[in-house]
Amino acid sequence: MSSRVRTDGAEERFDRDQTREWFAQYAASRDPEIREELVVAHLNLVRYLAVRFANRGESIDDLIQVGTVGLIKAIDRFDNERGVEFTTYATPTIIGEIKRHFRDKGWSVKVPRRLQELNLAVNRAVETLALELGRSVTVSDLAARLEASVEDIIESQELGQAYNVLSLDTELAAEGEARSATLLDYVGSHDEALELFENKANLEAAIHVLDPRERVIVYLRFYESLSQTEIAKRLDVSQMHVSRLQARALAKLKQSLKVDEG
Amino acid sequence: MRQPLSPQSGANKSRRVELHIPAEPEWVGVARLTAAGIASRLDFSIEDLEDLKLAVAEACNCCIQNGGDGDLSMACELQSDHIAIAVERRGALAKPGARQPASGDDAELGGLGVFLIRALMDDVVYSSDQTGTRLTLIKRLGK
Repeated sequence: MSSRVRTDGAEERFDRDQTREWFAQYAASRDPEIREELVVAHLNLVRYLAVRFANRGESIDDLIQVGTVGLIKAIDRFDNERGVEFTTYATPTIIGEIKRHFRDKGWSVKVPRRLQELNLAVNRAVETLALELGRSVTVSDLAARLEASVEDIIESQELGQAYNVLSLDTELAAEGEARSATLLDYVGSHDEALELFENKANLEAAIHVLDPRERVIVYLRFYESLSQTEIAKRLDVSQMHVSRLQARALAKLKQSLKVDEG
Repeated sequence: MRQPLSPQSGANKSRRVELHIPAEPEWVGVARLTAAGIASRLDFSIEDLEDLKLAVAEACNCCIQNGGDGDLSMACELQSDHIAIAVERRGALAKPGARQPASGDDAELGGLGVFLIRALMDDVVYSSDQTGTRLTLIKRLGK
């Protein structure tokens, strides 16, 4: 984990002065060669950050690549005069780029799936391994068999359930319950609003109270039957945001229909 | 009466969990899992949970690297709209003087880990001196 920016003492002092000097030159000349020097000088920072996101299921090379894009953006936007260290400035930009990469990859959908799959795999492996070994299996047995870390095994067992809660369409298979309800079933106010959709004629008039974005969400959610997560992906916003907009849109519709009736 | 980690909002009852682990890298995973387990009681997104785990691991590593003589302690406190996590290790720094701040810059104080934590959490308080290293991380629900 040796990194140029981590070292203490004279070497670091030299690096900082050197970096400042380069930035001053780059600000004046926008010389691509100096830019390259700056990129190379900070690749360790990118690597340091990328490694920390490596356990999220993307290859480290990809993360370094998108992180480097963030680094280059940071270099181009950095203002030497502001008195902020470049590393302070660049870290959020690089992390932002790495996280955007995960979002683009639909990562928030994949992670729960991966944990669910691991959860199932663990349940299967417990039986077969117990037969093979002739004793109760340990978490490290499972980790070795499934080529996962001990932490992942524990997490898939303990947190797998919690992670599922994110999709409104996730089935909540409670123990001893025949019917597997979805989270949406528990959102009472939404159900109430949904009933209003039966009255299509009223609705057509009412839909004009929505702004274009709310209209799109209502359309995708109830006509195309997409999940909030899918809508979020399509509109490039968070699922939370979709949830809020949907709730607001339904409240508006409800209000509008009530007024019409009365 | 224990000092709350963050100002309590209204009549919300706080839910607090404390953990003490050896200050060794191989125990950091336990802190990560514990923090994630506690945080998942609020409706954090997966991304937020992963960020929280990463930040907790970095905070623990920072305390381990800074040295000291005690165990590592972590206190997690759930409020209705956020989680506050305090990671602490008491005792003198391993290399006195090596991390004395020249510019007050976090990079010199706590290494890049503190940058990373700041980029991932909503609020971070970091202090490191001869009495020990302390980090308080706050992550708020849905921004």
